[in-house]
Amino acid sequence: MAKTTKQHQPVTNYSIDFYAPFDQRVERSLNDKYLRTAVGRTVDKMSDGRMAKMGEVDGELLRTQTRQMKEYVLRNLPQLLESFEENLTANGGHVHWARDAAEANAIIQQLARENKVKTVVKSKSMATEEIHLNQALEAMGIPVVETDLGEYIIQLDNEPPSHIVMPVIHKRLEEISQIFQDKLDMPPTFDPAIMCSAARHKMRADFMQADMGISGCNFAIAETGTVCICTNEGNGRLTSTMPRLYVAVMGIEKIVPTIEDAFLQYQALCRSATGQRMTVYMSMTNGPRKAHDIDGPEEFHVVLIDNGRSKMLADGYGEALLCIRCGACLNVCPVYREIGGHAYGSTYSGPIGAVISPLLPMHVTDAGKLPHASTLCGACKDACPVKIDLPKLLLDLRADDVAAGNTPFFEKQAIKGFVNAMSSRKKYEQAGKMASIASQMMTGFGGGNLRFAPPPLSGWTESRTLPPFAKRSFREQWKERVKARHAQAARKLSAHNLTKGGSD
Amino acid sequence: MSARDEILSSVKGTLARHDLWFPPHDARPLTRAERMTVTSGPTAPIDLANRFGKELATLHGSYEVVSTVPGARMACVNRIMSWIDEEKSERKGMALNTGQEMELLGWRAENLALDGIDEGLKAVGLRLITPESVDTVEDRDAVRLIRYGITGVEAAFASTGSMIMASSEPGANRIASLLPFRHLALIPFSKLYPTAEAWMAELRQFGNFAEWIRTHANLSLITGPSKSADLEGNLTLGVHGPKFVHAILFDDIGGLGTARPWDTDDLSDEEYNR
Repeated sequence: MAKTTKQHQPVTNYSIDFYAPFDQRVERSLNDKYLRTAVGRTVDKMSDGRMAKMGEVDGELLRTQTRQMKEYVLRNLPQLLESFEENLTANGGHVHWARDAAEANAIIQQLARENKVKTVVKSKSMATEEIHLNQALEAMGIPVVETDLGEYIIQLDNEPPSHIVMPVIHKRLEEISQIFQDKLDMPPTFDPAIMCSAARHKMRADFMQADMGISGCNFAIAETGTVCICTNEGNGRLTSTMPRLYVAVMGIEKIVPTIEDAFLQYQALCRSATGQRMTVYMSMTNGPRKAHDIDGPEEFHVVLIDNGRSKMLADGYGEALLCIRCGACLNVCPVYREIGGHAYGSTYSGPIGAVISPLLPMHVTDAGKLPHASTLCGACKDACPVKIDLPKLLLDLRADDVAAGNTPFFEKQAIKGFVNAMSSRKKYEQAGKMASIASQMMTGFGGGNLRFAPPPLSGWTESRTLPPFAKRSFREQWKERVKARHAQAARKLSAHNLTKGGSD
Repeated sequence: MSARDEILSSVKGTLARHDLWFPPHDARPLTRAERMTVTSGPTAPIDLANRFGKELATLHGSYEVVSTVPGARMACVNRIMSWIDEEKSERKGMALNTGQEMELLGWRAENLALDGIDEGLKAVGLRLITPESVDTVEDRDAVRLIRYGITGVEAAFASTGSMIMASSEPGANRIASLLPFRHLALIPFSKLYPTAEAWMAELRQFGNFAEWIRTHANLSLITGPSKSADLEGNLTLGVHGPKFVHAILFDDIGGLGTARPWDTDDLSDEEYNR
């Protein structure tokens, strides 16, 4: 049934090589001397905030209930989508459906064309990042202004976001200041308040003249046909209020049944994402302006995108569709902390990104390697507000990858060798002996650690040392130990007999 | 087949499979009785007002609690005048000369739930601007440089210091709480609720809540002044929305002690959803 969705086109004008091979992307991140400090500091702050705010309420119950609600949503997805569509249409809004990125972009391009749109303002949205909407609109000559401060900065610098909720987490104040000087002709300053006020001034003009506002959707309420977006800056509210047309792009899994469910998820989201009780703004749009409204959009469109989600459900990865995009799993992940978001080479980074990037029809180089880039420590599962079993999903993906024959040559050989060595006791003992002699030889029998080893082990010894195999194998040592104990027992026994004999 | 039908029938087909391990086949919705109230707040009006203020203050907003309507009028005028002084002194003589220094962007006086506010503002020379349209460039130019906004609220939640703004009411608008640099919110005690959940429960009880929501094109929940931490984790206020949010909470119900019956747990789900 599920037709194969078209793979996205890569974005050509990024200032970084987003599509380099995975190993190169990781190497680049590890060699960035500021990245780990910048990322580490911020994710720690966000994680502390999450724990504090989940801790001051019954956070465990909040997670359990949010998950239960979302499981019900997935189980009843078609009915809820239909009721959302029906209610939103009755409110005067328009619902569009898109199988993939190309269809979604075509729908929005068509809307822009019909309405002679000259400029677009956008509120931060991962769904539109996923489908590369900005590039599609810019290709038809329509400038798009990202209005979330973080997105604005990386748009100025031609980079994709590196975190689900903190797109510019990888940049230091000094770098941001430089971008403002280069791109906005701002006098040099490190004062965040001055930089922020310059951006406000600049973007306010964009809000006043834009014809179309585009946002994502944090959740949409089926019983009312409401699209909810959460922001702290107020750009979401401006995007959904000032332009004549308002378009919201959402994945089909973003539905919640009732208004109460929306508030439940909202609180789980805010507490998990940024450690806030509530974000500063939540804008709930039901439709275009009504009789008494003097402001608000004249037209309201919602684009529902599948883009691989129905296939994800069909392939047994439906649990990943519970995700409410809070970014908590990124903030606790030891791998994300080291390599940052760009190394994942995908719109979605961190543990959830490693799960969904290979499953969505996105252009990601070496997407199959992402599930392997995890220590499976389980911190992500503990942080997740909907308790997604991310380590299990990662293991499932690894298993799929191996079943598809994507095992590295050395690993295959090593397993073959292992199987051979384990096939008889004699072979096993010989293999152990050989490993011992070879590794002792390489350390020069000096008792020190191995500092270099032949490939493929050289990958390990490049950055770490390896203790050599013991001179005598465990079995040999065990044999001796048993022998010694027997001898000791025999000695004891004879000594005992002697004393006994003596007392007679 | 249209994209809509194809997506829906694909998902339906998948969900009909017996071997599908996720989502669980017996997944059930949260009932009203079991759904948690995440935060908790006090019940007496004066306690609600103080809690609301305290929460707003921790979010870098400010507040005052006033016991009478005339007192609230005075507080409101005083606050705007002191804001004007603040802005003047900040500019240190570099006057902006917009000619709009004494203008307030707001809801119509009758929507502010504060009797006589109109006269109070006029008496000190303040002009309440309530545009009929902001669609054209000229309309927008007339309001974009106004520094102060004044609005009422649809409801306010004490446990988080949040307020709900509802559009589509005659005389109300969205821009007054959005475009200006400083936002003054007038909150009568009668609009205070301990939590968002209490507000929703009351509306469910008194009629078709979903229908009520849909009669408004937009509802906005506002919790404190606009902010961002995007500049390397530094807190910056007033990024797009107001940098200053000040709430004047005033007693419009006379008698500060009577608590309202917030607890609706004794109702059955059916009664509740009626």
